[in-house]
Amino acid sequence: MITVENLTVRFSGSTAVDTVSFTVAQGESFGLVGESGSGKSTILRTMVGLNRHWSGRIIINGMDARTTRQRDLARTAQMVFQDPYGSLHPRYTIGQQIAEPMLINGIADPVGRTAELLDLIGLGAKFQFRFPHELSGGQRQRVAIARALSLSPRILLLDEPTSALDVSIQAEILNLLNRLRRELGLTFVIVSHDLAVISYMCERLMVMRNAREVETLTREQLRASDVRDDYSRQLLAAS
Amino acid sequence: MTGPLVEIENLRVAFRNDDGSWNDAVRGVSFSLGREKLGIVGESGSGKSLTGRSLLGVLPDYARISADRLRFDGIDLTTASPKLRRSLRGGRMGMILQDPKYSLNPVMNVGKQIIEAIRIGDRKLSGAEARRQAVTSLEAVQIRDPERVMGLYPHELSGGMGQRVMIAMMVVREPDLLIADEPTSALDVTVRTQVLSIMDELVTRRGMGLIFISHDLNLVSKFCDRVIVMYAGRIVETLDAKNLHAAQHPYTRGLLACLPSIDGSLEPLPTLTRDASWLEAAS
Ligand SMILES: Nc1ncnc2c1ncn2[C@@H]1O[C@H](COP(=O)(O)OP(=O)(O)OP(=O)(O)O)[C@@H](O)[C@H]1O
Ligand SMILES: Nc1ncnc2c1ncn2[C@@H]1O[C@H](COP(=O)(O)OP(=O)(O)OP(=O)(O)O)[C@@H](O)[C@H]1O
Ligand SMILES: [Mg+2]
Ligand SMILES: [Mg+2]
Repeated sequence: MITVENLTVRFSGSTAVDTVSFTVAQGESFGLVGESGSGKSTILRTMVGLNRHWSGRIIINGMDARTTRQRDLARTAQMVFQDPYGSLHPRYTIGQQIAEPMLINGIADPVGRTAELLDLIGLGAKFQFRFPHELSGGQRQRVAIARALSLSPRILLLDEPTSALDVSIQAEILNLLNRLRRELGLTFVIVSHDLAVISYMCERLMVMRNAREVETLTREQLRASDVRDDYSRQLLAAS
Repeated sequence: MTGPLVEIENLRVAFRNDDGSWNDAVRGVSFSLGREKLGIVGESGSGKSLTGRSLLGVLPDYARISADRLRFDGIDLTTASPKLRRSLRGGRMGMILQDPKYSLNPVMNVGKQIIEAIRIGDRKLSGAEARRQAVTSLEAVQIRDPERVMGLYPHELSGGMGQRVMIAMMVVREPDLLIADEPTSALDVTVRTQVLSIMDELVTRRGMGLIFISHDLNLVSKFCDRVIVMYAGRIVETLDAKNLHAAQHPYTRGLLACLPSIDGSLEPLPTLTRDASWLEAAS
């Protein structure tokens, strides 16, 4: 479903992602963990066409990310951003922002579906008239998840999807994501600093440090602390 | 300095509904803070950030705030002039906001912003010396290649780098009170440990008071001295941090049960069934 090959991303002289490769099968959930600043968000952003300057190969559901229009990519793969405040427009209501991708793509009954999505994430339709600044951090994050789901994408790229949420809402969102993955056959790439969340959500994971892959582990290896690299061991020990 | 650093009694914050009635987001919160690490945990939307913002004086002006007591180091904040509150914010009180990148100036590079914060604290400092201190402060929060990062604008930072830049800016100011709202949620565990030890040092060495808002129960129980648990705008329970896992209130117990663990079950996570009686819990 996803192939990333020798991806390298540079920003004015510094290398944010250095020859990173991984594949994710249809219906699989793949985790990215590692040092803050090691390039995890940059990988996701590049996959949805938000970075111009990169080398390597990215194939998403058969589409070459370099030559496919961003709009077509967006129908297949949606990203939930790490900072929900930045990804929501300050002057549009929550309802408008969830409905917007549906309007652009001519999806039927955007209003009804917006209300449905707001229920799904535990906020309720009454929130649709609020503006982002009237929401708490966790409420904004849930809106971002609802918006990503609005186009019924086949792939969700989730950047720290629950780090702004209290653990009870986190549990609800993780259960919801797992249910959607099962029922709709979705494919996930999840970035998180919480190894417990990754172990719960992902079948495989890649550990990153300083723009590079450290190692790729299966869930079973993670659970058994069966790791080869010292950095992965440090991460596990501190968790 | 005797007496608590912060005293809050019956704090209320309300916003107007569409029909003109008021909706209470914070409903009678009371606590005091010494030179210690106080954790605040609780449900999303329960009023944790608003409580911190009330203390700092950075609520939107359409919010209705009231309190029987709101004091910082003996200063009555309910009657303090806007000028005094501004100068407190610039100096003795600091807050790391939940969206750190959006509290930085978007059109000024990181280095200039930290240097400015350093020079507000010590106006006699030379430019070169302030710059050197800025680089050191970024190194202290484990930023790789601080010289490069000094030249970056906020939107060029990773999530965790934004948090660390904010923390560095607060730490160089050495405030007496620091309100840190989810300050480490985007940090990997090894970097987080180092950053927490810097904050811890400010508390133990300089006698700073720290209000640490977080949803990470394990972290709070390890790092803080006391923990306040909030639910729907109220405090439902206050605990010694080390006893968090022995919490009594069903909401707190429910929270603990929702946590996934590295080697835990893969069945759906337990979720909370919220009980109407929790809304009326003693505050
Ligand atoms: N637009 C940009 N211009 C310059 N540098 C950038 C830009 N975007 C990202 N970077 C740099 O790329 C590196 C990787 O950033 P990225 O956001 O991918 O890290 P991350 O692994 O997601 O970290 P975190 O866990 O802290 O969110 C960082 O050094 C960052 O400063
Ligand atoms: N400017 C505002 N206008 C209207 N309602 C607001 C405003 N700011 C906050 N609220 C509401 O007040 C409640 C408390 O918000 P607060 O930001 O304090 O929550 P929180 O406990 O910090 O949650 P989180 O963990 O999600 O950050 C929320 O229901 C929120 O929607
Ligand atoms: Mg990131
Ligand atoms: Mg908050």
